Amino acid sequence: MAEVVLQNVMKNYGPLYAVNDVSFTVEHGEFVALVGPSGCGKTTTLNLIAGLIPITGGDISIGNRIVNELDPKDRDIAMVFQNYALYPNKTVYKNLAFPLQMRRLPKAEIERKVTAAAAVLDITHLLERKPRQLSGGQQQRVALGRALVRDPAVFLMDEPLSNLDAKLRVQMRSELKRFHHNLDATVIYVTHDQLEAVTMADKMAVMNGGALQQYDTPANVFAEPVNTFVASFVGSPAMSLIPLTAATRGAQTVLTSPEGWELPLSPENARKAQTSSTPNVILGARHSTLKLQPTKVPGSVPGKVYTVEPTGDVTFAQIFISEAVVNISLDPSVQIEPDQEVWVEFDQGKMHLFDAETTMALRAK
Amino acid sequence: MAVTSENRVRPVVKKSIDWWRWAGRAFLTLLMLFTVLPMFWMVLTSLKSQFAAMQYPPQWWPSEPTLHNYFKLLDPSNRVGQEFLRYFWNSFYVSLVTTILGVVIAVPAAYAFSRFRFPARNFLFFSVLVRNMFPAVVFLMPLFLLMRWMGLVNTHGSLILTYLTFGLPLSIWLLKGFYDNIPIQLEQAARIDGATRFQAFILIVMPLSTPGIIATSIFSFIGAWNEYVYAYTFLSRDDQMTLPVGIQRFFTEFATDWPGLMAATFMMSVPVVVLFLVLQKYFVRALTEGAVKH
Repeated sequence: MAEVVLQNVMKNYGPLYAVNDVSFTVEHGEFVALVGPSGCGKTTTLNLIAGLIPITGGDISIGNRIVNELDPKDRDIAMVFQNYALYPNKTVYKNLAFPLQMRRLPKAEIERKVTAAAAVLDITHLLERKPRQLSGGQQQRVALGRALVRDPAVFLMDEPLSNLDAKLRVQMRSELKRFHHNLDATVIYVTHDQLEAVTMADKMAVMNGGALQQYDTPANVFAEPVNTFVASFVGSPAMSLIPLTAATRGAQTVLTSPEGWELPLSPENARKAQTSSTPNVILGARHSTLKLQPTKVPGSVPGKVYTVEPTGDVTFAQIFISEAVVNISLDPSVQIEPDQEVWVEFDQGKMHLFDAETTMALRAK
Repeated sequence: MAVTSENRVRPVVKKSIDWWRWAGRAFLTLLMLFTVLPMFWMVLTSLKSQFAAMQYPPQWWPSEPTLHNYFKLLDPSNRVGQEFLRYFWNSFYVSLVTTILGVVIAVPAAYAFSRFRFPARNFLFFSVLVRNMFPAVVFLMPLFLLMRWMGLVNTHGSLILTYLTFGLPLSIWLLKGFYDNIPIQLEQAARIDGATRFQAFILIVMPLSTPGIIATSIFSFIGAWNEYVYAYTFLSRDDQMTLPVGIQRFFTEFATDWPGLMAATFMMSVPVVVLFLVLQKYFVRALTEGAVKH
């Protein structure tokens, strides 16, 4: 049983904080994705958990044991690297056997475990080859095999799919998910691809600028992003954000644009808007919650079509609303042209409001 | 289909002579003759008798080729052979110790420069190169005084120390290039797989840098093997001489025995040529390492 707990973990290089006060708990058997743009500190966090770089503050524990000072080899972890890091001068067999040899297992047991791992990953026929004689997908399997042959408490994976071509990536994604399911393994998985995180992970930790933004299930992160960063990072296409100003019209709260149009808010959203530190709020909406109307209807605002991107199943349109670009998904049968004037209808129950100053999501009191 | 493409009429391309290509070939041929002819002449002369070597007009091809000069050098029962073998051993000993010490020092130094971040790292790395910015002769007197102060004059230790100071900068630079090209993830993987940092270095990194280690070994061996000025200055005892100095002193005592000298010179170049031929693929790889993406 191994849960991984990070408590106020810090890593700084002089005044630069690569990881700043990050805390989260990975339960046993959970698949957790660390996700964020490049330079957000996700790989550093993984290396801190692995012990490849020392932490400058906080505590990391693996399976109820504080591992702050432990060498990587003593943490009972295995890691899969982005470039696989297979030992180029060793055969696949010896690559798989290396972690076991380092633990001084008897030869017969090494052979048994390597053979078993190779069978699981369907690489038995490759055991005598050198890594450079393998395709990217095969190298990926060997790297995975080297991790699982030792039956570690925690698997750490650093963008393991990003060197594969798009088709193979999708295939390996489902294999990894199945692998996690079969092994009941604890996995911490770093990716910059939010789609990988959403599709594979039980929980996702969204990071930016060295700080943890949100740690929750993908569904919750998708439905209730805590700030504009998470809102615009998760989801494809991203959530559209429109900076507006809140104002009161009698009993009603409305959002006003610099162009002069007004969007009346529902009582629930009005209460949210009132918690903003300033009248400046950001309206967020996902593409699927918006409706395109040829004429003005209640709860709609004017916009102008920028581009139309048919993908077959669905057509994405980008529409300028008050200087912001808003993504809308449409039925492919809808015919619109660039520069066409349209009306966009918001779903009051599914819209998001953010404080423009703090970028935090506004919640009704 | 293949049939149709065979039947198709090939467009006739008028072949014009590529003059630049031929000029290049001619130039390279000249350059090759320039380097190879002296060596060729060296071998031919070494196969001649003393008399035949001095004939005018010169005999291009030895009329009565003889291996006499080589037998003389390799025969420890006469004075010439005794001394030649002595010098040969001295040179070999000095070069070998220089090479081994050089590798033992350069490997960890280069690895540290490549992998660790420490204060004054760049300053130290470039100061390693400063020695190479001056001609070797500039250091002759200071080093001689230093060696005398340390009581190392007339010992092979003085040469080994000197050759190390000349060879190490290049070795460290070359090896650092090798280590820079070994992904750090390999060591990280090894450390997670159960190796200590030192084991990761020995078991994973060292085998991958063997070509670099071999190349730098050749560099430092050849450098020490061929060195003349310092050996001439630091050593005065006859039994300590290295080959470059020994050959010269030995054969000019009375009259110059040209065939003997050429035979000795040829024998001296044999280890270098053999080393180079056997290990040249590593040598070339070291020089072009990092030039193209693998």
